[in-house]
Amino acid sequence: GRPWSNPEAQEDPAHLSKSRLRSDLVSHNVELPPAGSKKEVYLKLHLEHVDQGNAAGFSSDEDDQVLYAPGGDRVDTKIPDPTALSDKDLKDLLLKYGVKAGPIVASTRAVYEKKLRKLLQSDGNEGLNEAETAVLYSDSDEEGEENGDLEDEKESEEEKERINEALELNQKQCNEHLQEPVKNILKDLIPEAKTTPTGIYVTPRRPIKGAAQRPILYGYPDTPVSPTTLERRDVERRLVPIYVQILVFFIVLYILYFISINV
Amino acid sequence: MSSTSQKHKEFVAEPMGEKPVNALAGIGEVLGKKLEEKGFDKAYVVLGQFLVLKKDEELFKDWLKDTCGANAKQQRDCYGCLKEWCDAFL
Repeated sequence: GRPWSNPEAQEDPAHLSKSRLRSDLVSHNVELPPAGSKKEVYLKLHLEHVDQGNAAGFSSDEDDQVLYAPGGDRVDTKIPDPTALSDKDLKDLLLKYGVKAGPIVASTRAVYEKKLRKLLQSDGNEGLNEAETAVLYSDSDEEGEENGDLEDEKESEEEKERINEALELNQKQCNEHLQEPVKNILKDLIPEAKTTPTGIYVTPRRPIKGAAQRPILYGYPDTPVSPTTLERRDVERRLVPIYVQILVFFIVLYILYFISINV
Repeated sequence: MSSTSQKHKEFVAEPMGEKPVNALAGIGEVLGKKLEEKGFDKAYVVLGQFLVLKKDEELFKDWLKDTCGANAKQQRDCYGCLKEWCDAFL
């Protein structure tokens, strides 16, 4: 028996390997797409040309033929066309991949379709073990895809588990990563800290800008301010340093003049 | 001090009101024109798109790239600018 109760024929074309699809196409006298085409292209052709003749051919369960209508509403197929999905279906499918999509409106549709395509591709190309199947599923590698055929069947079952695991792992990793920078920041802040018996040494902190008697020279205002106020602040901020610079400039000039006179 | 530009600072310092789209950090004349052609003629319209994408970084950057051809730095600047503006005012 088959591992999952899916009312499909024994050989669902989506689960066939690319080379298998190709040989099927050839045996049905269907013109092959260009050599470097992705599995999707072969699958589409297979669905169009081969599966119509399925009644006579493959499946032992004659009831199952209904499902080969192209562009069918089987959301659990690995390669639905994002463009053909309804807004709701698109959103649901994205949710399956853990993407909490916002509203699918005219201006967002394209972005979400693109995202779904990326997810579908990476899902079709990666298997249980990403390292292994990266080799197995590469388009140029014929031999590997025979093995990939078997991987396919196991995949969808464990797919969901994998996604959940990946999400958990991701969260754990995030937590771990968060801890490390915190420890390092302390060292960075106090690089010159001498080690004392307790291991902690801190230098006195510089006065905080914005505290009493230290007016903020620059900073983002908390409340919206009118443009004129901001301009005034801007000008004030700049005047002081430039003023000092000009003063220093003249002092230096005077000194040089003084020296040149006395030489 | 952060590595944000003057344009960024000016934008996040106050409500955007009717500022044009090239007031956004990362959006210069060329990109601004492309956005305007697509109907995003004011900064608040781009803000609208940013919000409708639920402020998601990757999605917004993708959208920006697809809509006006912004490069990675421009995407980053624009996203950062809008995000900070939202943190301050939204």
